[in-house]
Amino acid sequence: MSQPITPRRATRATAFAPDSPTSPPKSRPKSSHRRQLLAAAAGPKEGEPLDALLDALPCRRAQATDLLRLLAPAPALPVLLHGGAATGKTRALLLALRHLRPSPRLVYAALRSLPSPRALFASILSQLNALSSSSSSRQRVPDKPSDFIAALRDALAAVVAQGELVYLVFDNLEVARGWDKGGQLLSLLLRLHDLLRLPQVVLVYVSSATPDAYYTMTGSVEPNHVYFPDYTVDEARDILMRGQSNPKLYSSFLGVVLKPLFRVTRRVDELAALLEPLFRRYCEPLGDLQAVPDEGMRRRLFEHLQPHLAVALNETFSVPMRASVEKCKDDISGGKASVKRQFGGRDGLSSELEFHMSVSAKYLLLSAFLASRNPATLDAALFDSTGGSDNRNRKRKSSQASIDRKDTMAEEILMKGPGTFPLERLLAIFQCITSVSEDVLDEVDCPDSMMDGSGTNALMSDVLLQLSTLCNSNFLFKSRSCPLEGSARYRSNIDEDLALKVARSVGFPLSKYMYRR
Amino acid sequence: MAAAAPAPVAGHAHAVLRGRLCDPAFVHSCLRSSPDTNYSKLKYLVASSVSEACNNSVLLLGPRGCGKGAVLDMVLEDLRKEHPDAISVIRLNGMLHSDDNCATKEIARQLCLEHQLSFSKMASSDDNTEFMIDMLRECGLAHKTVIFVLEEFDLFAQGKQRLLYSLLDAMQSLTSQAVVIGMSCRLDADQLLEKRVRSRFSHRKLLFVPSSLDDIQRLMEHLLMLEKDSSLPTNYVTEYNSRLTSIFSNKKFKGVLDSLTDTDATTSNILRFLFRVVSYMDMESGLLSMECFTDALSSMQRQPKMDSLQDLSILELYILVCMNRLEDKEQKSYNFNTIIKEYKSIQDAYKTSDKYATTVCFRAFEHLLDRELITFADTKGRNVALEYRPVKLLISSRELAQSLNLNTTCPAVLQKLLDRERYM
Repeated sequence: MSQPITPRRATRATAFAPDSPTSPPKSRPKSSHRRQLLAAAAGPKEGEPLDALLDALPCRRAQATDLLRLLAPAPALPVLLHGGAATGKTRALLLALRHLRPSPRLVYAALRSLPSPRALFASILSQLNALSSSSSSRQRVPDKPSDFIAALRDALAAVVAQGELVYLVFDNLEVARGWDKGGQLLSLLLRLHDLLRLPQVVLVYVSSATPDAYYTMTGSVEPNHVYFPDYTVDEARDILMRGQSNPKLYSSFLGVVLKPLFRVTRRVDELAALLEPLFRRYCEPLGDLQAVPDEGMRRRLFEHLQPHLAVALNETFSVPMRASVEKCKDDISGGKASVKRQFGGRDGLSSELEFHMSVSAKYLLLSAFLASRNPATLDAALFDSTGGSDNRNRKRKSSQASIDRKDTMAEEILMKGPGTFPLERLLAIFQCITSVSEDVLDEVDCPDSMMDGSGTNALMSDVLLQLSTLCNSNFLFKSRSCPLEGSARYRSNIDEDLALKVARSVGFPLSKYMYRR
Repeated sequence: MAAAAPAPVAGHAHAVLRGRLCDPAFVHSCLRSSPDTNYSKLKYLVASSVSEACNNSVLLLGPRGCGKGAVLDMVLEDLRKEHPDAISVIRLNGMLHSDDNCATKEIARQLCLEHQLSFSKMASSDDNTEFMIDMLRECGLAHKTVIFVLEEFDLFAQGKQRLLYSLLDAMQSLTSQAVVIGMSCRLDADQLLEKRVRSRFSHRKLLFVPSSLDDIQRLMEHLLMLEKDSSLPTNYVTEYNSRLTSIFSNKKFKGVLDSLTDTDATTSNILRFLFRVVSYMDMESGLLSMECFTDALSSMQRQPKMDSLQDLSILELYILVCMNRLEDKEQKSYNFNTIIKEYKSIQDAYKTSDKYATTVCFRAFEHLLDRELITFADTKGRNVALEYRPVKLLISSRELAQSLNLNTTCPAVLQKLLDRERYM
């Protein structure tokens, strides 16, 4: 339970492994699972019947048969698999290839894990060289497409000459569009069929982008498309039901929660990660997990779950930190009241800060936040010696015209996001707010600061060091130096909720200093 | 009887048909018999320059997938048979060798390979060019024609065109004996040439166009009909062929063919279609049916954007509708924050059950970005947080309305929201 839940990484393991969608998600990364599949696909396994294949691909019967028919006997035109994330494209392909007889050579390149064309070329060639096992292993990795094609043709011809089929798979094709010269590489990859002219080599592309993303770059042989649609509610239920120890109980649970959650997301991997803690909560009132629920018990369980469900809907996808997981545990004993309080909070998030930070870093973060949100012209008014009260008086006097102007300004802030500021302004604000809160700090005893009477000086020390820490941890963004002024400018990346939390933790009246229309 | 035909026969026939469809030489072989085609023109042109020992150049132009490469391959194969030792072919591809140094190196490499010379990888570009010119002279003296095939010809015309110039310039001398054949899908490929290159180029062009409906029908028969004297059992072949003939004469088939050729009548598209048809073959009987053709057509005419719109969850649809409303209000740019403002106002006005927190909406927003139904309106500004970057829709409001209509789970409010603002 102390293990943080990572919905994204456990995807295929939890969603598809028939053994355990409800057991705590193993932190088995996607790639290792895929590597298993790959190893299995390459290995000389005994032929399994078609039914076993279709069984391993729940709710993908149509796609799998389509795929098999298009790939099956040797000469085949290129195939493009497309569909949203977590729809089982890669899994279906790899299992289908494993199913083929005689088992073909598989060369698999996932473009997401190969960051450059050079790495892609190296990976493909090394896979082929390892397979043909004879040719020179000490080859230089080609970085020009022409050299790569020549090397690839030689390597493939060597394999094909032994009477073998080769399936060349390019996964995550959409990633290459973002690469430097990615367009050229893609048109090269999509025209490989023409360039190689080897009928024994079948090209398969897997992409989460739709085929029209490649229309500008395709060659004469456009691949045949196989579309993988997202799962429907019933299919998602079937998949989630697989391998449950108590199917009756789980199906009554799904009957309650699946429909509302499905309105938010249709991705089975996200649903599986989300359902797992909910199911544990659902079972809490039960002594015996193997019990078959009757009507009364179902109603009781539903009433128990209902408040949690409302929270879960709004907490979907937020990854709980260790601290808040602990807190959830406390809530369990607290019962309904605490849940409601939590839900009442802004966006259902907890109001506690979930990480530790030194007091001076907190003040620095707050001043950066203020510098980003407030217009620079208001600094003098906000931070002058008379403090915030005078400022509020001045605000009331504003005329209708200026209110309108401020409205458009607020609109602009909504559009443009936080502004940038120079280091000098940050330091000035920092000095102001630390000096203002000096008296507050005297009264409030901060346990984790080493401040005494001369607090301001202590806070001012190492301020640049703190600043670089904040930049490195991505709380602040440091832009390249401005061509006119020559110095670097900063921007704060935190949102208002976090800023308010930080302010609360040091007892700083942040809202007093925030500029609002 | 068809049903009695054992599966191995079907498998065999299946393999034969697939082999045909994947073999460009077979696909275009019916051109060989008929006169007055690009095949016969090109063959005459090249054959005459081989036999008369002169230089020549020609461009094959036409859209992708019309068989330029396949026709050229057939011509070259025929010539190799007729003049076994008199020609050598150098192939370059604009996608791979558009760089001049790389191209000369490749020419030198292939020349060495053809004439059993050892090729030095270390040779400089000048050495390679010199070598090429020497080889051209030597080949000319030996009455051997060198045929340069430049695929993606338009890509060679980028930059300084040094390669094209040195090639065509070398052909101006009397001693050399070479043919340059350029292939391009750009119909204005010869206009891309520089003056000095163009003046050395003989302006012979062969235009390849998508085939007519009759030709396509003939092509289909050529590809799908099985021969009587093949290794397959005779009664199966007769059954198969008669089935196919009845399909070809079917009115429904004409409709399928029309809607296929309306979008794309190139040979490659026909091949892809037939490949699907054959892959849908009933493996029990080994026969093709009308359903194979209609299924193949429907799988080729998918609309990817509509498909992915159907895959959206309700919340994702809400966000799209919000964006559509913003665009209808002629707001010139908007980002996630403005969308959320709109979403909240809708939720306040209609009090639906689909009111979710901002973080949840943001995840749905990211899903939409992943699916490429929306995208960032600007390319720069990578350092700005995602919720502040302006976005835009990649679908039209008509598509959105259509998908909402098709979606059975879509709440009525959404349709109302979309409809209302259209009349406002």
